[in-house]
Amino acid sequence: MSPDDVMIVVISGLLATSCALLGSFLVLRRQALLPDAVSHAVLPGIVLIFLLTGERASLATVLGATAFGVACVAGFDWLRRTGVVASDAALALVFPALFSLGILLISRFASGAHIDLDSAIFGDVTFAPLRTIELAGLDVPRSLVITGAATLGTVLLVVLLWRPLKASTFDPDFAELGGLRGKLVSQVLLVAVAGLAVVAFDSVGAILVITFFVVPAATARLLVRRVGTMLVAAVAVGWVSAFGGQRAAVTFDTSIPGTIGLTAGALFLLALLFAPRKGLLTKRLAARPQPRPR
Amino acid sequence: MIGWLLDALPLSYPDAVVVVGTAVVGFVAGALGPLAVLRQRSMFGDAMSHGTLAGVAVAFLVTGAKVPEVLLLGAAVSAALAAFAMIALERTGRLRPDAAIGVVLSVSLTLGIVLLTHIGASGNSQQAGLNGYLLGQAAGLVERDIVLALALGAVALTVVLVGFRLLRSATFDPGFTSVAGVPSWAVDAVATGLLALAVVLGVRTVGAILMVALLVAPVVAARQLTKRLSTLVPLSGALGAACGAVGGVVSGRAELPAGPVIVLLATVVAVLSVTFAPRRGIVAKARRRRARVAG
Repeated sequence: MSPDDVMIVVISGLLATSCALLGSFLVLRRQALLPDAVSHAVLPGIVLIFLLTGERASLATVLGATAFGVACVAGFDWLRRTGVVASDAALALVFPALFSLGILLISRFASGAHIDLDSAIFGDVTFAPLRTIELAGLDVPRSLVITGAATLGTVLLVVLLWRPLKASTFDPDFAELGGLRGKLVSQVLLVAVAGLAVVAFDSVGAILVITFFVVPAATARLLVRRVGTMLVAAVAVGWVSAFGGQRAAVTFDTSIPGTIGLTAGALFLLALLFAPRKGLLTKRLAARPQPRPR
Repeated sequence: MIGWLLDALPLSYPDAVVVVGTAVVGFVAGALGPLAVLRQRSMFGDAMSHGTLAGVAVAFLVTGAKVPEVLLLGAAVSAALAAFAMIALERTGRLRPDAAIGVVLSVSLTLGIVLLTHIGASGNSQQAGLNGYLLGQAAGLVERDIVLALALGAVALTVVLVGFRLLRSATFDPGFTSVAGVPSWAVDAVATGLLALAVVLGVRTVGAILMVALLVAPVVAARQLTKRLSTLVPLSGALGAACGAVGGVVSGRAELPAGPVIVLLATVVAVLSVTFAPRRGIVAKARRRRARVAG
């Protein structure tokens, strides 16, 4: 493996780590589709910053996108808490509206500028090693710094809020009454998801981010029963996908995020079929009809 | 067949085509939406719309040209496959709907991207704009599209009418349906096939990604106003058609793309209904609560 290959695996793996940690909680809370919604909802933020500053991929763009990502999760949370609209319908109401707003802004004010609707700030991990910044005299890939910082932040968040996060996931009422500030913690989690998603879109691309949020966590959910082990398993699945996918992409000469995503999908399928206790085939193998004593 | 309708509208011919087309799509989506929303599958449309990309790519790979009907057929097949995959995952009982949708969505989108990368590398000059199929172009509608939409919509609505009792019991009490002798997977499959049809109908007008809103928003609005499924289906269809028609006119006048205008309109209607509906609205609920505290 060339240094660039290693760099791609490391960046993807770091990203997988942070996404899997937050994604596991999203899967347990039945909010696994939030990152996908955020990926569409950030569009108006990107366009507004472009109209104001003329820049398409600056720090301001990330901030603008984050603002609308947070607006998306806030709107979702408000609608959900009214109790009138189910959680999934609330999400399906909020993000298309924001996405529409973005498309209208583009067609009204920025039709001349070239903004790819679905990929304005969306980077590609393939080129991540090439975009470097200088850090302490060394040329370091920007994405490595960003994903590294994001991963560190996520790990800290999960460790610091471990008890309230767990409690509010499984028993929101207890978390609220037991003085663990369940509602506040839930909102912190949502904002963290929006922020991490935007930062990650910028450096490795939206598709990979959405995949990393959902698939490793869903795979881990099939494999283990405890939250702690689920987080570890999800992170492991993420790293295996990053490594396997990168190798496969080099072998077949195709899109790196694509093969990483497909590897994660394949791991999920394996877990679905052969997971201990819960696997579809495991069960069939174990439940082979026993000869009945007469 | 529909020439007289287009002539009768006080609009120029191209505008009339757009308005009728968007109204038809709005009605079909609104009427089929309850199949998704009432079963906590609102985001089904989202995964199906992302799934269309792989189908479009495969159709293009097979034919080597951009024939709209063939690409749409590919989109329909892959949307249906994605939907069946979601139902199958859900029925294993190992995953909740949101995780099942998320897994299918990411894997099918990834597959689409890999295929598009492959097409892009093949150097076929016609491949440009394939991914544009995710975002519709109502202005490009022609009469033939409306006829197609009307025909497919009529098929879908007939199925809903004929199987209404089954769909109703499958929606509220899946156990009863299977006891009554109809396997619940069959009802699931039909309902899902109809939703896939609706998503593909929307591909040409509002775009696949925005179709999820058109399936959900009218239903949420209508659900606030009625408790009965037999009222909900036509009411939400009518709301969808109204949003489609008005959005079509407004977008034509303001020279904006129709899809986003229609979606924003439908969202506003839904939020208004959620807030101000007579009995289930937030305001009405708050007032009742206050009355109870005071009394």
